[in-house]
Amino acid sequence: MTGMDRERGIGRFLPLRPVEFHILLSLAAGERHGYGIIQDAEARGEASVPDLGTLYRALRRMEDQGLIGAAARREAPDAGDERRNYYEIRPLGLRVARGEARRLAALTRAARLGGLLEEGSP
Amino acid sequence: MNEERWLRASDRWLGLLLWFYPAHFREEMGEPLVEAYRDRFRAAIRRGGAFTLMMVWVRAFGDSLRNGLGERARPAIRWRRMGNWGRDPELVVRRLRRAPMFVVAMIGTLGVGLGAFGVVYAAVHKVLLEPLPYERPGDLHYVWRNYTWFDLDRGWIAGTDIAALNEAGGPIEAVVGLQRNFATLTSSGSAAAEPEEVAVMISSAGLFDLLGVRPVLGRTFAPGEEGPDREPLMVLGHEVWRSRFGADPQVVGSEVRLNDQPYTVIGVMGPDFRFVRHSSLGRPQGADVYTTVTVNLAETDPGSGSYAGLLRARPGSSPEAVAAAVAAVGARVDERDFDGRGVELYRVGAMEDLVAPVRPALLVLSLAGIFLVLVLAVNLATLLLVRATQREREFAIQRALGADRGAIVRATLLEGLVLGLLGGVAGTLVALWGTRALVALAPPDLPRREAIAVDASVALVVIGVGALLGLLAAALPAIYATGSNLGALLKNAAVRGGGGHGRLRRSLVVVQVALSLVLLTAGGLVVRSFAGLLQAQPGFDAAGVLTFRVPVPQSIYPEDGAVLAVHERVHAELAAIPGVHAVGAVSALPMSASMSQAPVRFPGAPGNTGDDSLDSPLIDWAVMRPGAFEALGMRLLAGRAFEPAPPQGVQEVVIDDLLASTFFGAGDPIGATALIVGEEWTVIGVVRHARQYDLHQDGRPQVYVRHEDVTFGALSYAIRTSRSPMSLVSEARTAVWRVDPRLAVSNVRTLEDLVGESLSQQRLSATLIGAFSLGALLLATMGLFGVVAGTVDRRRQELAVRLALGADHPQVIRLVLREGLLLVLLGVLVGVPGIYLSGRALAGVLVGISPFDPQTLLAVAAGLTLVAAVACYLPARRVASIEPARLLRQE
Repeated sequence: MTGMDRERGIGRFLPLRPVEFHILLSLAAGERHGYGIIQDAEARGEASVPDLGTLYRALRRMEDQGLIGAAARREAPDAGDERRNYYEIRPLGLRVARGEARRLAALTRAARLGGLLEEGSP
Repeated sequence: MNEERWLRASDRWLGLLLWFYPAHFREEMGEPLVEAYRDRFRAAIRRGGAFTLMMVWVRAFGDSLRNGLGERARPAIRWRRMGNWGRDPELVVRRLRRAPMFVVAMIGTLGVGLGAFGVVYAAVHKVLLEPLPYERPGDLHYVWRNYTWFDLDRGWIAGTDIAALNEAGGPIEAVVGLQRNFATLTSSGSAAAEPEEVAVMISSAGLFDLLGVRPVLGRTFAPGEEGPDREPLMVLGHEVWRSRFGADPQVVGSEVRLNDQPYTVIGVMGPDFRFVRHSSLGRPQGADVYTTVTVNLAETDPGSGSYAGLLRARPGSSPEAVAAAVAAVGARVDERDFDGRGVELYRVGAMEDLVAPVRPALLVLSLAGIFLVLVLAVNLATLLLVRATQREREFAIQRALGADRGAIVRATLLEGLVLGLLGGVAGTLVALWGTRALVALAPPDLPRREAIAVDASVALVVIGVGALLGLLAAALPAIYATGSNLGALLKNAAVRGGGGHGRLRRSLVVVQVALSLVLLTAGGLVVRSFAGLLQAQPGFDAAGVLTFRVPVPQSIYPEDGAVLAVHERVHAELAAIPGVHAVGAVSALPMSASMSQAPVRFPGAPGNTGDDSLDSPLIDWAVMRPGAFEALGMRLLAGRAFEPAPPQGVQEVVIDDLLASTFFGAGDPIGATALIVGEEWTVIGVVRHARQYDLHQDGRPQVYVRHEDVTFGALSYAIRTSRSPMSLVSEARTAVWRVDPRLAVSNVRTLEDLVGESLSQQRLSATLIGAFSLGALLLATMGLFGVVAGTVDRRRQELAVRLALGADHPQVIRLVLREGLLLVLLGVLVGVPGIYLSGRALAGVLVGISPFDPQTLLAVAAGLTLVAAVACYLPARRVASIEPARLLRQE
């Protein structure tokens, strides 16, 4: 699995930090601004929603790495939106997110086989 | 409080928190971050009012603190923000590959310059700075005697002094006595070979323990293995073990003969053990084999100083404490053995004692090295600046396109760094080769000469200096580069190359000329001082003389009469060799610093003053066989030399012109009586003083006596020949062995080589400093050439206008030339204080010439100006190629 990921040039991004995974997860569903990503995470019922500083540092880093980019078009502009940055996921980001999901799935499977997780539990 | 006011307060709080983040982050992400926080604050107020908002504030504080500081601590990201840092090296390499000539010039210059620096650094580091290769080398001291009532302030100490020092305790842990002699080594069995004269270190048994060194084979002397009635033991040096015994480990336990006495070999020292015994007057000397003293030191004659004393101080005792302890022992010795006449004992650190004679020369060399590096730095800066000028447009366009100032500075610095590193590597290679040449050229008695080599630490320093030079040199153009601005550049389009850097570059040339002037002056002085030495009149004629030692061991010929007879026969055999004009034998050759010392008196001589210290000076004396003055080319000034047949009932002495003029003035010393060591001698002749120590100045006064009166076993032969001296060697050996095959023939060399060795330190300094100063001159010339060429290029338009308005070419050339020569003049003026400073450092190495010798200073200044004028004239001639009509039409 890792070998395959490395072949596709995404191995160096893995494993992702939680905040990075949240960002990719949210943007995979569509363009978001920063606070929107936080709201998505809260909506998913995450126990540890990232701090805003952590989020924005990650956004900048991931933009540098080419995982995400500034969105050209803004959805439903409203008064406060002029100063917001909207982000969208890039193909590389999508591949990295999928790679991370596969990695997590493999780990989860292993945890089950090892008896750390009960069958059927999340 | 309503929601709006809470939000305004939140904004102010956020404004404060944002300062935790670095500026670049605030600029880029500040606004969205603030917006997001506002959303969160609004949500908090709606959800839980003021208290919840406060909680969010606290959390925001923690968040900003952590992430703001975290962002600041990530320099890699900051650099990336300033430009694409990761791509810089790649860009630099690509840029440099596009200018191969520039790179070659740069690395070549740096390589040679840093190579020279590396050689000097290696020498200074290994000789002056690196500790001696013994245990706790800082605690080793030599002890000398100062006879305060006559001119011997660095005399050997007596065996009794060593015993007294060893009893003293306190900061003195142990003292060993050291003597060095020559003896003829013969061995039986498989190692039987020609008899060979070897240098023998005769020491107290504790020498090796005191130094803290171990043998590679066998053992060294155990405590108490010294003195009379002990089995004679020997430790072999590595070189003798290798060359004479074929590195045979079986040699340990075997018997060898020294002067026909049996010794048991108990150990072999390793190749790294190179011990030298310091001398009272001559140079430090090593030995081939080691034995222990055969006397009880405490029972020797206190009046005869004949040992070097090597002292080991207790750990942690200060040099002052050791000095005090040694002086206290000295006071006791003076009371006990000299009735308080004024003998003093004093200590000198072993390292200090060893390097003292070469310290001034090495310090001057290191100064020259530093100057060379400075010249190099300026040269480098000039070259980089020229490059920066050429890339000015590129910089300006980059800036106009929004490239960060930092990115341009960084690229320029990186370019300098890369070039500096490459130059450093090239310099290391040059230094590797250069140190080998230096060791070959260095005086054989240069302390620790063998240790001079480029090792990892030296290489690291050279590469480091290269990198530093590269960075420093790049700093100027980097600062300059950030100043370029497209608008100004386009406005200045007519003036090609811009004008602002011109002043900087001209200042660099001034600095370069000044530095070169200082180096050239030093070089000129050192070379002239050396040339003076070569023409010195040392009191003997070294040309066409072969010399070697023939020791006649007492063990083989115990009777004085037999020793005399052997030398008589050797002399006759040598004289019979075809092409030999004269044969002489003396106990000490000129320039060998090996004469013996004694006080002399001339009772009733007119020069006596009544002052005992003046009337009984310490003199050098040697014994000789008839014919030696002729063989050595020493000029007899009055009276006669020794006759072949010894006179009956009278001891004859020949004195030198120094004694003759001191004691007899214009009078005639022939027939006068001299008192030497309590015996009466009759003066039969006056000979020109033949220098023993320094080629450039007379030493102690000298007297010569007949071999029949003081019989030395070992004499040095001097053969004057019309043939090439070295071609006589095998015939001379055969001649000696015809007399007795057990005799060794050692120290074979020409008298000219002997003189040359004494000059090798000066030759080395002269060669290195001469090379450095010529290098500096070359660099300065290149710099000047470049500046003037640049000026002509830049002012092409203006010059064309002048030509068009009626000025002729020579006039315009003079105009350009004047600008260049002004720089030279300024450089010379700036350099003058430097000459003064360097002169003070040079004083220690110059012989027979003042550091401010006006002739040399004027010649150097004139020479430099002349060379500089040519360097200006050549590019200035390009003016001739300007065709005003065409050039102006192009505009």
